[in-house]
Amino acid sequence: MRRADFIVTMATCVLLPAARAQGFDLTQVTALLARNRSGQARFTEERIVGGLDLPLHAAGTLSFIAPDRFTRTTTEPRAESMEVQGNQLLLKRGGRTRQMAVDAIPELMALIEAVRGTLTGNAALLRSVFNTRVEGNAARWTLTLVPRDAKLAQQVRELKITGLHSDMRSVELWLAGGDRSVMSIEPLQPLASQQAAPR
Amino acid sequence: MKPRKAIALLAWAALLGLCVLRIVRTTFIADLSAFLPADPDPQQRVLIEQLQAGLPARTMLLAIEGGDAAARAAASRALAQRLRESQLFEQVNNGDSAAWGSIGSFLFEHRYLLSPAVNAERYTAAGLRDGIGETLSLLGTPAGNAIKPILEADPTGETLRIGEALIPVAAPRSVEGVWASRASGQAERALLLTITRAAGADLDAQQAALVRIEQEFATLQAPGLTLKMSGAPLFGVQSRALIEREIQWLSVVGTGLMCAFLWLAFGSLRALAVAALPVVTGVLAGITAVSLAFGSVHAMTLAFGTTLIGEAVDYAIYYLIQARAAGAAGWLRHGWPTVRLGLLTSVCGFAALVFSGFPGLQQLGVFSVAGLVAAAMFTRFVMPELMPHGAAGRGLRQALGSAMRAAIGWLPRLKLPLLALGVAAAVLLVARGDLWRAELSALSPLPKEMLALDASLRADLSAGDAKTLVVASGADLQATLQRAEAASRALDGLADQGQGQGRIAGHDSITRWLPSEAVQRERQAALPAAEPLRAALAQATAGGPLRAERLAPFVDAVQRARGQAPVTLDALRAAGLGPVVDALLLQRPDGSWVALLPLSPPLNGSVPPAAELRGALAGTDGLQVIEIGSELTRLYERYLGQAQLQSLLGAVAVLVLIALTLRNGRRVLAVCQPLLLAVLLTMGLLAAFGVQLGILHLVGLLLVVAVGSNYALFFDMLLHEGDDQGEGDGPDSDTLASLALANLTTVASFGLIALSALPALAAIGTVVGLGSLLALVLAAAFAPTRRRREPLSAAPAA
Repeated sequence: MRRADFIVTMATCVLLPAARAQGFDLTQVTALLARNRSGQARFTEERIVGGLDLPLHAAGTLSFIAPDRFTRTTTEPRAESMEVQGNQLLLKRGGRTRQMAVDAIPELMALIEAVRGTLTGNAALLRSVFNTRVEGNAARWTLTLVPRDAKLAQQVRELKITGLHSDMRSVELWLAGGDRSVMSIEPLQPLASQQAAPR
Repeated sequence: MKPRKAIALLAWAALLGLCVLRIVRTTFIADLSAFLPADPDPQQRVLIEQLQAGLPARTMLLAIEGGDAAARAAASRALAQRLRESQLFEQVNNGDSAAWGSIGSFLFEHRYLLSPAVNAERYTAAGLRDGIGETLSLLGTPAGNAIKPILEADPTGETLRIGEALIPVAAPRSVEGVWASRASGQAERALLLTITRAAGADLDAQQAALVRIEQEFATLQAPGLTLKMSGAPLFGVQSRALIEREIQWLSVVGTGLMCAFLWLAFGSLRALAVAALPVVTGVLAGITAVSLAFGSVHAMTLAFGTTLIGEAVDYAIYYLIQARAAGAAGWLRHGWPTVRLGLLTSVCGFAALVFSGFPGLQQLGVFSVAGLVAAAMFTRFVMPELMPHGAAGRGLRQALGSAMRAAIGWLPRLKLPLLALGVAAAVLLVARGDLWRAELSALSPLPKEMLALDASLRADLSAGDAKTLVVASGADLQATLQRAEAASRALDGLADQGQGQGRIAGHDSITRWLPSEAVQRERQAALPAAEPLRAALAQATAGGPLRAERLAPFVDAVQRARGQAPVTLDALRAAGLGPVVDALLLQRPDGSWVALLPLSPPLNGSVPPAAELRGALAGTDGLQVIEIGSELTRLYERYLGQAQLQSLLGAVAVLVLIALTLRNGRRVLAVCQPLLLAVLLTMGLLAAFGVQLGILHLVGLLLVVAVGSNYALFFDMLLHEGDDQGEGDGPDSDTLASLALANLTTVASFGLIALSALPALAAIGTVVGLGSLLALVLAAAFAPTRRRREPLSAAPAA
């Protein structure tokens, strides 16, 4: 596989984007992603917000347990967490805990589907909410998600997820107002995908 | 004779006239209140007030099915729009968030009075840095889009803080911008929730609102879409319609049956007309008595009144038949004491109902006692004046009497098999164990599909499904709000507990919208003047991404808030928050207040037991924890227990009466034997058919004892009167025929209500119809025989 990946990577570099249609598409990206049954990662995030003098920074951990649980725990600059479990969202901020139904807020639902669809490699789910575009190859790919729903598009312009093999490595979020955030992801359990692979 | 006759008739006519006068001015109600308990304890009182007068009584759930999601959403919007314009509704909600715009600006305007984060520490440099930091942590995320426009006026995120507390734990799913069903495997629906302006008890207004909804939906002309409705107003209107329908056919068929029996008895129209008089008198007197005792008459009582026809007509039959042979004076000597004893035993039975916990049953008791007494009094005092020689015409009495005689001769052979059946029934009853069911909903006249639709709509809307409530009550509004605030703090503690979820997912409280004045003043007092605030801001924002110069609107807003009038109940209503207020805050008729704090269970879990909640709430007076499901069960169990005791007392009263009349242990035993067997066999038959017994079956059994004792007494008297007078030729056909007729009318009238679609009536009807027939058969089978039952078979026709 390594050898094949190397060849594909080289070919991509040489043949430029014209060659990307050569079989590497959403189905293959999601097939790669679907190999992860669970995982943990550290993230750092930089947000550029119009009207603020400085960018905002945040750092923390991400965790995912298939099929529908994931948590984002922010440790810097403030302790916060967001945990999605099925249709429920659990928010902890400033020592307070709030729970809400995800599908009651369609925009929230769409974003959570984006994360969930990506984490579980569910192509159909992603296609139902977003127009998708895939660039790159198995070794290094970029998945761009543009909301189909007009209401969500008023909030979120696009999401750009890049990955190496079966690992998500960054998520770039462009908001409609021009603000954007870039999250870099560093997997904490690199063995997880290989353990799950034989399945 | 003449003056006595005139006096009797005049007195009767005058009383009847008074009854009619009272009845004309009586209100008839037909809701389900008859089966809500009359004297609840304080916790149950809250529940019942909610059911009767609270928001749920005005809330309708609507579902639009068919078509695709876009068509349903369009229909939902159009229907909501039209219903809002109708002015019949205080609120029409379909999940369209546009409706919340004005409420959002109300919260924003009052953020420094409503935000739980406001305190003196919040406006120090450190507090401001923390507050601003928390707000900034959302910027650059999709959630930040909403707060960015108000960042400069609300950098510490008070609006967000208020909003965050108001996010419901469970909310309907939103599709195409409107509420939609969640449950898979069912027809997809768009959902709406309406709250009428009219009170829940005003069924006419509720009906008008329902009709309006249907009309507006029809004019939408949305092909392929159908509308479904549910909710307490619909249940009320439907129950009323059902009860009215039942009364109509029961009274028509009941009257028809009575005429048929009278025809059977006399074959004479005149006799038929006269025999109807005690019935009419009894019914009118019954309604009047209920109206005087309760102020209004429940329609269910009227439906039950048809059974009174069956009882009261017996008196007429007894008199008209027996006075023909013996004359009025003779009847007064021999017939009246039997009728009087029968009356007294029946009254004992029905009087027990008066002490039951349900107004519905109390009304039945009062109605029946008054009705029977009036019918008997009419028979005793007016009948002899009207028809001094009884009624002419024999009808089919001869045949009926002969048939009875044959049956009586033959039935004692069944003594052993019947005894064996009785034992079998007793064994079955003991073996089944779970004979009694404590479930209030068993009394609801509504069809199961209707309740199922309601449950599924409620699940979709997450409406009214709180199983546990904390209730804060107080003599005035402020005291109530302060208690609710204390409870709310404790409940927040439960929600924030632990690493993952808390012990509860959250709770609702009116104090999030309407803090007590004390708390609002406290918050105002914590707001700093402009200068110190600017100084603290400069310090707090130094080196951060948000410069203090941009926050002038914040300083202004805080200054305004320092002199702002506190949020009041009226202000909330004016802002369109009436329904929110009414869902969480009630004023009792005595002027005191009740705040409801419904709890949401944690995900995949349930709310902690009441004891734990009480522990968490300890230290504040006027708080109660109510678990609705177990509370209702407990309530019904309590009434079942009460009813069992009362029925037992009623039965004992009947037996005492019999004992007092007979004054002979052996005879009392002989009378009780068939009664006990009748009760056992009735219960056994019901159990064999899988019927679970409730309070109404119990009431029915008591009536079986009360009515059935008459038959047993009859056979006893036959035997012993013969002894006294040394006649020994057994009963004549007329007497036997009148007994058969009396039983037929009872079985028929209770059998009729056994067919009723109202479960409460059907339960009583089944038990009494079946039980009284069994009582007669058993009384005949176990009739004490004198020297080998030759008198019964050898008696000549009179």
